[in-house]
Amino acid sequence: MAPVTLKSVKKSYGEVATIHGIDVDIADGEFVVLVGPSGCGKSTLLRMIAGLETVTGGEISIGPRVVNDLEPKDRDIAMVFQNYALYPHMSVAQNMGFSLEHRGASKAEIAERVNWAADILGLKPYLDRFPRQLSGGQRQRVAMGRAIVRNPQVFLFDEPLSNLDAKLRVVMRGEIKSLHQRLGVTTVYVTHDQVEAMTMADKIVVMNAGRVEQIGAPLDLYDRPANQFVAGFIGSPAMNFIAGTITAEGFAAAGATLPLPPGTGNTGAQAVYGIRPEHLALDDSGIAARVSLVEPMGSETQVTMAIGEHTIIGVFRERVQARPGETIHVRPDLAQLHLFDAATGARLN
Amino acid sequence: MKTDLSPRMKIGLYGLMCVLLIPFVFPTWWMVTSSVKPISDIFAFPPDLWPRRFDFTTYQKVFELQPFARQYWNSAYIAALVTIGTMIISSMAGYAFARIKFPFANTIFMIVLLGLLIPSEVTIVPLFQMFLKWGMINTHWPLILVPIFGAPSVFATFVMRQFFIALPGELEEAARVDGLGRFKIFWIIALPLAKPALGAVAIFTFLHSWNLYLEPIVFLSSTNMFTLPQALTQFTDAYGGAMWNIQLAAATMTAIPVLLVFIFAQKQFVEGLAHSGLKG
Repeated sequence: MAPVTLKSVKKSYGEVATIHGIDVDIADGEFVVLVGPSGCGKSTLLRMIAGLETVTGGEISIGPRVVNDLEPKDRDIAMVFQNYALYPHMSVAQNMGFSLEHRGASKAEIAERVNWAADILGLKPYLDRFPRQLSGGQRQRVAMGRAIVRNPQVFLFDEPLSNLDAKLRVVMRGEIKSLHQRLGVTTVYVTHDQVEAMTMADKIVVMNAGRVEQIGAPLDLYDRPANQFVAGFIGSPAMNFIAGTITAEGFAAAGATLPLPPGTGNTGAQAVYGIRPEHLALDDSGIAARVSLVEPMGSETQVTMAIGEHTIIGVFRERVQARPGETIHVRPDLAQLHLFDAATGARLN
Repeated sequence: MKTDLSPRMKIGLYGLMCVLLIPFVFPTWWMVTSSVKPISDIFAFPPDLWPRRFDFTTYQKVFELQPFARQYWNSAYIAALVTIGTMIISSMAGYAFARIKFPFANTIFMIVLLGLLIPSEVTIVPLFQMFLKWGMINTHWPLILVPIFGAPSVFATFVMRQFFIALPGELEEAARVDGLGRFKIFWIIALPLAKPALGAVAIFTFLHSWNLYLEPIVFLSSTNMFTLPQALTQFTDAYGGAMWNIQLAAATMTAIPVLLVFIFAQKQFVEGLAHSGLKG
């Protein structure tokens, strides 16, 4: 186990810069998730930590060592790939013991470590099988087994669940998390799925266009997003955004005036009013909203509606009986209100 | 593929297939049966599908008239060396073109491919002069070196490159993380996975070398050094006329390894070409 430190890390392909100077401190044993939309540079950053991509600028340290110029094999890391990258011509046991074998471990030691990993991951009955004879979930476990047998200082996961169906993804998510809790190895995990990020991470690094937008604990990012990008990315369904102006009477948007908490300030500023769907409540004295779609989920109801000229989504614990075209009244929870600068997207409140 | 053909359709289909098979099977049938016919029966019209008289002494005469066992060995060991050499060269070159980034890789590959457009007849005279200078005329070296570093190897390199291009990059990256260097990645990961393509390369290289005719007649002059295709033309009488039954007995024995290769390795051959993107 070791901390990982990224200092002003940059990556360019010729003239094209893709990572613009990233600083992240990952503590020993921490589970950090790099999250962001496709093309934001999260996988590139992970591959730079692994040594599969060169570092154009800055410094990557694993423990006390700067690893910029070290080969992947010398960084004491293990990586789980998106497509598992299991060697098709080797059995499960051979796949898991492969790295130990090439690092000069004895046969007895390899067998012991492979059995230990197989035991943890429930792979003992499959040790003699080949990858083609396994299901997606089992292959994923073998990929994890291959990573843990070596007892590396850092685990790197590159979107490891993206090839699994939704149900298996939830199961594997839990398994990876419990594996981390059991082994306590520093983990860097890349995903574009913010639900994975929220449920698994000790710390989330939200990236966009090669830059870090915000670093923090999952609930900090949810409760106090630093900017409109993070606010829109974290949370599902995504936060509602309504553009308008802060006035003394409230938030003036096209076709509606929305309430603001007392002492908001910034009067006259062009801003974006952000409220999460789950922070809207049904209230007869609230703002009128015209319903366009009702989606009952059982435990909650998702309603798409228009306030003035803005379409927003509300999620209610109550069973909403309204039909499309009817009007309901909703009230935003002002304690959970987010205001962003219209020009920069930076948080105002 | 599952089909629901009626029995009548099946009979019709198999009948049609049998008819279409005749042009492919007849020459081989004619060669084998004629090899045990007296020479006068070979040109009987209409031809006899089954010999009226069997004469197996033709096979004995093949070995009496020429050092046929020696020639068989020449062909066999040359084909084996060419096959192994081509597999080594083409797999390494194919891997390099597919997986290693180096300046002008694609341009160099295109130039290498252009070698396929040059007919072997065009290069045979310069090659003869080159091997003459090196003192290799009437040795087997030209028959070994020319295919390994010539057009057959270029085609084999193309097949191997196409296979390695399709190999997932993550496998190599996983191997790098697991502690392997470039050569070990090639040797331990990429090459074992390339078995179908290597199999195809081995088959067509072996067949090409086994059937090689132009180069042996240019580079070899003593019967002890001859390979089989060249030896087949030497079964003639005092007036230069072909001794057909003996020649066909020799041809039958020459064809045996080719038939065996096709019977036992056709699946590998098709798989290899499919992996190489040469087959739809």
